[in-house]
Amino acid sequence: MLRKLLKHEVKATGRTFLPLYGALLILTIFTKVAMTIGAPDFFSDNVTTGPIAEIILGIAFTLYFVLVVALCVMTLVVIIQRFYKNLFTDEGYLMFTLPVKTWEMVFSKLVVGLMWSVVCGLMLAISGFILSLGSFSMLEVSQAISAGYADFYAQFGMSLNVILFELFLGMLVGGVASILMIYVSIAIGQLFNQHRIIAAFGAYIVITIVMQIIASVIMVVVPLANLEAYMEGIEAMNAIQWLINGTTICNVILCVLFYFGTQYIMQKHLNLE
Amino acid sequence: MTILSAKNLTKNFGKKVALSDVNVEIPRGRIIGLLGPNGSGKSTFIKLATGLLVPTGGEITIDGLAPGIETKAKVSYLSERTYLNGWMRVEDIIAFFEDFYQDFNRIKAENMLLDLNINPGDRLKTMSKGTKEKVQLILVMSRQAELYLLDEPIGGVDPAARDYILNTIINNYKENASVVISTHLIADIEQVLDDIIFISKGEITLTSTVDEIREKYNKSVDGLFREVFKC
Amino acid sequence: MKWYIDSDRPIYKQLVEQIELRIVSGIYSPGDKLASVRDLASDAGVNPNTMQKALAELERENLVFAQRTSGRYITEDKKVIEEVKKALALTEIDRFFDRMKQLGFGKEEILTLIEKAEEGEDGNDNTQR
Repeated sequence: MLRKLLKHEVKATGRTFLPLYGALLILTIFTKVAMTIGAPDFFSDNVTTGPIAEIILGIAFTLYFVLVVALCVMTLVVIIQRFYKNLFTDEGYLMFTLPVKTWEMVFSKLVVGLMWSVVCGLMLAISGFILSLGSFSMLEVSQAISAGYADFYAQFGMSLNVILFELFLGMLVGGVASILMIYVSIAIGQLFNQHRIIAAFGAYIVITIVMQIIASVIMVVVPLANLEAYMEGIEAMNAIQWLINGTTICNVILCVLFYFGTQYIMQKHLNLE
Repeated sequence: MTILSAKNLTKNFGKKVALSDVNVEIPRGRIIGLLGPNGSGKSTFIKLATGLLVPTGGEITIDGLAPGIETKAKVSYLSERTYLNGWMRVEDIIAFFEDFYQDFNRIKAENMLLDLNINPGDRLKTMSKGTKEKVQLILVMSRQAELYLLDEPIGGVDPAARDYILNTIINNYKENASVVISTHLIADIEQVLDDIIFISKGEITLTSTVDEIREKYNKSVDGLFREVFKC
Repeated sequence: MKWYIDSDRPIYKQLVEQIELRIVSGIYSPGDKLASVRDLASDAGVNPNTMQKALAELERENLVFAQRTSGRYITEDKKVIEEVKKALALTEIDRFFDRMKQLGFGKEEILTLIEKAEEGEDGNDNTQR
């Protein structure tokens, strides 16, 4: 059933995103063409353009900027909307009477939300890459990358891949945690009989404040535990790793809390309008 | 053979008591009218049976099981809300039902759409409220479920469609399945009912067969209802 | 012939009467096979269990008999049908007399009225029927 939920979730969200990505690609290519024709020396220090090219480029860049912002906002909006609207408004009457487990519903929404976030990042990267084509040579870039790896290894005695992987993992877990925080806030919001959306926002703010408080407490407690002395004894890169992985672990804990909180509310305190 | 059973079932919303100490057994192979004025607890009872609500006290079981993934596969529920996503076409929602309900019969659904002149390619958001209700009822009745829970199934449709719908209900359910219809429009459905449950202010006040009522009170169920719930 | 379920009496009794009427008036001939319970119920717009109960009642009256696998048939015993016909007629007459009495007519008056009505009807060439 999970597979079917994922399939329908992709179908329901894809119809919003695919046209947007299509528009991004078209606009990217248009901007690139405008750049190539109107300002062939765009990436050099002193750009020379005619007035018409300037207007067209100006419009293209503005549109591009708006679309990029729209994409990022839409990704967030769809993540929120698919969870709120599909589960806690009238559509919830259908979803919660399907023979599927509650965790499967949460999980399918989470995975697809995360997927679109990653796809959004990828699309922006691809678009940026297309725009900057011609401003660098592939050979130089790959040489710079391998030089960077070599430097890193020489300095810290470990592969850059390890740090990159930890960073990636940290970002992924951080992404999951922020989506789940939205979910749990929405789930708390629907416990109220009125003003559910405002209640969800309230829940989100309260959770943020609580997390801030806990973080400050940890900040106070850590020096007390004399960890600073421990930190001084280790190398800088180890400290950075410590920071990254520590954050990841904290986020994993948050994920678990948010996830089970959401599921508990959905199973025991479902309160559809 | 009981398909649905409630024991001391109670549901409160905050301080408001929606259902209080309800005991009822619904056997298989019957069409049951759950009758009561607005706000009497009809929808609450049905939602508890579907698992959309969790009881405050007591228990409700379907085929011996508390509402959950197994019971949801056996229960076909028509909510009083239109829960269909507006952007979907009728054929999309049929594919959706086919995917999630193993007992869904696509051919049945397509035949009923044809009978009611609904185009499978139409988007739901372009449809009138009555047509949406028909689509929902078609989806629900196209399942070979063991228990149908229909919350106000005939509220918004015209008399011709209503007759078709009632006929669909009579014709579609299996011999060992039961249908629970909640409504306050009793005169329209009285003929198709076996049994009735009167519910008032969260309590069951009468359970009987339709013919028992007619024999005993010399009144139709509708007539008795009007007398019992006179304002 | 349409089904009429409209009075406050038990639905199955109304079904019994209407099937009896169909048999007596020849819409269902002796030996005819009846449609399935579900089809009959659907046709009449009533619950199948109620139709079942009505058919059971007709079986008890020997108007209908069930064959183990092939379904239900109308009796071929014309005597039974004749009796039901008489019974139906008597019920109608009872009802008629009740109403006439409510209107304040005595037995003799009623009979005279009937004879007059009968003559009038003949004179008017059946158009009133």
